[in-house]
Amino acid sequence: MTRDILRVDMGDLSITRQPLPDAWRRYGGRALTDAIVYSEVPPDAEPLGPDNVLVFAPGILGGTSAPNGGRISVGGKSPLTGGIKESNSGGQAAHALARNGIAAVVVTGAAADPDARYCLVIENDGSASLERVDEWAGLGNYDLAEEIAATRPEGDRYATIQTGPAGEAGAKAAGIAFSDPKGYPNRFAGRGGLGAVMASKGLKAVVVSDKGHGFLGHADKEAFNASMKRFATALKDHAVTGQALPAYGTNVLTNILSEAGGLPTRNFSHGTFEMADDIGGERQAETIKARGGEEHHGCHTGCTIQCSRYWMDKDGHYKTKGPEYETAWSFGADCGIGDLDEIAELDRACGDLGLDTIEMGATMAVYMDSGALEFGDADGALKALMSGVEGGTPGRVLWNGAAATGKEFGVGRVPTVKNQAMPAYDPRSVMGIGVTYATSTMGADHTAGYTVATEILKVGGEADPLKPEGQAELSKNLQIATAALDSLGFCIFVAFPVLDIPEAFAALHELAAAHTGDEWDADSLMQVGREALTFERLFNEKAGFTAADDRLPAWMMTEKLPPHNVVFEVTDAELDSVFDFVPDTAREMGLA
Amino acid sequence: MKVQIALFASLSRYQPDGEGGRAPREFELAEGTTIADIILSLGLPDEPRVVFVNGRHAPDDHVLAEGERLAIFPPVAGG
Repeated sequence: MTRDILRVDMGDLSITRQPLPDAWRRYGGRALTDAIVYSEVPPDAEPLGPDNVLVFAPGILGGTSAPNGGRISVGGKSPLTGGIKESNSGGQAAHALARNGIAAVVVTGAAADPDARYCLVIENDGSASLERVDEWAGLGNYDLAEEIAATRPEGDRYATIQTGPAGEAGAKAAGIAFSDPKGYPNRFAGRGGLGAVMASKGLKAVVVSDKGHGFLGHADKEAFNASMKRFATALKDHAVTGQALPAYGTNVLTNILSEAGGLPTRNFSHGTFEMADDIGGERQAETIKARGGEEHHGCHTGCTIQCSRYWMDKDGHYKTKGPEYETAWSFGADCGIGDLDEIAELDRACGDLGLDTIEMGATMAVYMDSGALEFGDADGALKALMSGVEGGTPGRVLWNGAAATGKEFGVGRVPTVKNQAMPAYDPRSVMGIGVTYATSTMGADHTAGYTVATEILKVGGEADPLKPEGQAELSKNLQIATAALDSLGFCIFVAFPVLDIPEAFAALHELAAAHTGDEWDADSLMQVGREALTFERLFNEKAGFTAADDRLPAWMMTEKLPPHNVVFEVTDAELDSVFDFVPDTAREMGLA
Repeated sequence: MKVQIALFASLSRYQPDGEGGRAPREFELAEGTTIADIILSLGLPDEPRVVFVNGRHAPDDHVLAEGERLAIFPPVAGG
């Protein structure tokens, strides 16, 4: 099994292929992007300058038939947070890279000519080249996907990685688009502005052909298949991954979070949204069906959960993906918009421009809170968003995210940590996720330690979302486990059965062991999670982050959130306990 | 006493009027009625579920009170 690093120097346009250092053989996905960013990026590097690096890494199980094992990690220093970033996406690229024997693509330097655009082309024999594509400058993601398609031979099978006009404008909310199984560039490593990092290097797109490649072989095929079967059975048997997610998608959460008083509404001023059901997953599924759309699909080949869907317009034509829960919330409840077609229009615009929909919805809500727009004004929101295309205002301010927008327009209620906007759970009524938002190396990020499962959904035990007790420990354990899943390349939704079904948890390290031939067990799996987080914490410390950065905005400790009229109550000491393992892990890694 | 009951996702078809949907219905209940009684009378499937009363998790032996809102979900998650 080949696992090489493909190094692409945008300064001298050279491409080299090196074997993965043996010290990193247990790293894939997030652990690998972290190790590379930690080792190669000066902590004080300008994120949009040549000293930053951009890393694309499939997980350890990328390219295999492991169910839901085809996620990709994108790493670099974030222009939004100023810290390390791992932004995770579905789409086809992880499998395609892994099947070409590539454990990571490391993009360094920056093109000498700022007007130049390049496309990195990786063919199915593993060869790679940089093509000059200046004519693609400014293309939206959907047009860009068509331009790429026109360059490919008939019958090719390939994945794309793209940055849109927002990335080219240096927007701090710019994400990176990945093509889905049908070739739509609609899966995103959205968070943290990595689309701008990609563009800053002169890289507009990456194409990876895996035509003719099948699933990767394994060190122990029999053991792999046996574990895979147990894992697939658990995914099918669990009510969440086997029933609710395929039937309703991620947006099934809207009604339950609104019911629990944890759905941030009108810029985090209320915890329930009176139009929740109009934008929720049940209504979404009914509408897509009525318009002749398909019920569901996976965001990457090998997904058995199938929580993705396409939104169809009133004429039954593809409009955009999902919208996913986070987007239905950000442009919906948080902006006071109660219409899925209007939300889908904003989702499509962000997808084409290459903007993170979590950041942009939360940003739009802050902008509305300034009085510049009425809550609920979807047309006004779209116009404001699109005003950035010509370089105008307020668009270019909005494209830099909620913190920049709050500052520019004088809004005090800005829901960010480390400059990154909070996702779709209010930390005052879902306190465990507040611990994750506050302490995550990523800035406010729900996926970093999804305590919502335990607090609201009763998956993996129970915790009272309205009480601070035990939340720091819950968040810590989930942050470690999530970093491990991200390193294997799993979709984090496998955590729902993994938390409830012991055989599913065991299957994670059994699959890694059977695939690689290395020894993996529960302890070594969690150790990879701790090591990934340790790289991240140490990088951020060197970049100047302190305990003061691991805090929610002060107003969340004083401004009561209806309907439960609660504030965030987890103490600073508890927040500071989350990463108490880092000094020990750093010593074990020789980084102390 | 009057209680609002809302059923979500795959459970909405168990509303007695057969019309589905997530809108809450008003029920006239006898004093002392528990959530378990409601689950039985609606004929909800014997599967895990997530139950809220007035936006807070509630156990099946919770005795409902006048004006409360009961919401029942099948196991759901996402993100």
